[in-house]
Amino acid sequence: MLIQAILLGLVAMLGNAEYLFGTCLLSRPLIMGTLTGIVLGDIEAGVRIGATMELAFMGAFSIGASIPPEMISGTVLGTAFAITTGSGPETALAIGLPVASLVLLAKNFGMVFILPPFVHKADECAKNDNMQGIAVVHYLAGFFGVNLIIGLCVAIGYYVGSPAIEAFLSIIPEWISKGLEITMGLLPAIGFGLLMKMIMNKANACFFILGFAMSVYFNLPGTGIAILGAILAIVLTQIKRSQTMQTAVAQGGYTDDDEDF
Amino acid sequence: MTTKTSKKLERKQLMSVFWRSFGLEWDWNYERQMNIGYCYSMLPVIKKLYDDPAEQEAAMKRHLEFFNTTPQLATLILGITAAMEEQNANDPDFDTQSINDVKVSLMGPLAGIGDSFIWGTLRIIATGVGLSLATQGNILGPILFFLIFNIPAQGLRYYLMGAGYKLGSGFLATLQKSGWMEMLTYGASVLGLTVIGGMTAQNVAINVPLAIGAGEEATTIGDICNTIMPGILPLLFTFGIYYLLKFRNVKTTTLLVVFILIGFAGAFFGILG
Repeated sequence: MLIQAILLGLVAMLGNAEYLFGTCLLSRPLIMGTLTGIVLGDIEAGVRIGATMELAFMGAFSIGASIPPEMISGTVLGTAFAITTGSGPETALAIGLPVASLVLLAKNFGMVFILPPFVHKADECAKNDNMQGIAVVHYLAGFFGVNLIIGLCVAIGYYVGSPAIEAFLSIIPEWISKGLEITMGLLPAIGFGLLMKMIMNKANACFFILGFAMSVYFNLPGTGIAILGAILAIVLTQIKRSQTMQTAVAQGGYTDDDEDF
Repeated sequence: MTTKTSKKLERKQLMSVFWRSFGLEWDWNYERQMNIGYCYSMLPVIKKLYDDPAEQEAAMKRHLEFFNTTPQLATLILGITAAMEEQNANDPDFDTQSINDVKVSLMGPLAGIGDSFIWGTLRIIATGVGLSLATQGNILGPILFFLIFNIPAQGLRYYLMGAGYKLGSGFLATLQKSGWMEMLTYGASVLGLTVIGGMTAQNVAINVPLAIGAGEEATTIGDICNTIMPGILPLLFTFGIYYLLKFRNVKTTTLLVVFILIGFAGAFFGILG
């Protein structure tokens, strides 16, 4: 029991370690379910349940700044309890989904309280010309900020069993999970705010609104917006270039002077 | 670049950047996303090109700035910036700011194209094939899923590393000399901002289920705002955050804490949902 719990914790950590191995999709339910099946000695059930969970979590993927529910723990624990109780994928889903939201709480805790201090530590290393330090911060941040948390949740969760997990879930008031959900909807604004801070000015702010409008009025996906944006960029650059050339010719020769825009 | 021996990156450093890029998302964080992973990936380049501690520090700080794109394709930008760092190390007149300008303007469009290709197309194909076998309990399902996704995805990562470096040292260097660099950064900022605008609309979410009026007359505040312009609340909110970051120097950690308080309070009183 204890050994299985530790092994399942390690499986979950391997899943999260896809972010160390080129975002290679190790964390997907299809893989996690299979590995859980291998640990518990029923590969076929693991693959089958993993496939069902994959369909359930299909839409869950971090694109841009959004975060998915914590599907690693949901899949591993859901599959594990379904296999040990001899029940089917429905049980795995019924246990997996609440587990995923519970572990997401723990993961968000790490995102908010553990990772940011590491980010500031990296800044300090850069200030002191400490290359080795940045490498150390890089590996420790991901390990303590996310990876270990998920591994511990899965190992402990398997050890205490699903009734204990559900009992624990039921005492968490709704406004906590709902509140974190609202916060998650707001957080990407920091990322985009930082980007805008770097490249936006009065003259080009309109293009930000253009991209926003293309999305909300025409429901264009990212690629469509990128294609139209690229065309616009090429046209505007050509116009700007010909203007610069004309001014240069009018001034009696082309110069390389910087022009402020 | 004339008489003095120029510093040159070798295949060894580029391969090192390639391998390090596998961990780009390892410490993905809300404040600057893939920034530590990016800086870590660039360390071999910085070490090779700069001897002066002050220059090393500046380069490390440069690459600890905000970064986010499709991780498997990020080597394109890593390659380009490696080439730009090389020029910067050899040419005292090089505009150092242009390194981050190019970086920022490329990551948005690359993510726009890369996310649809890697996540929208390649992953869906791999999942489709994998699922059809896995639902029958066939172990080949997860194995094929893994291979169909990773062979093209990581192959692209490898190819783009070299391609990015060549692009940076060939094409971009020519642009720099002929005065086109400024045009490129201008065009890239237009494209970058357009994509960021679209990403904001898709990612920042604010719902206000609080209703005004009673019975059938009741409408939520969120709906009223959306009749003015769909998504006007996320738009104004993001501009507000931009204002606080740029002109009020508010720390992102402060914003993080405030957002959590807003979330809990909003949920507790039923104002936000």
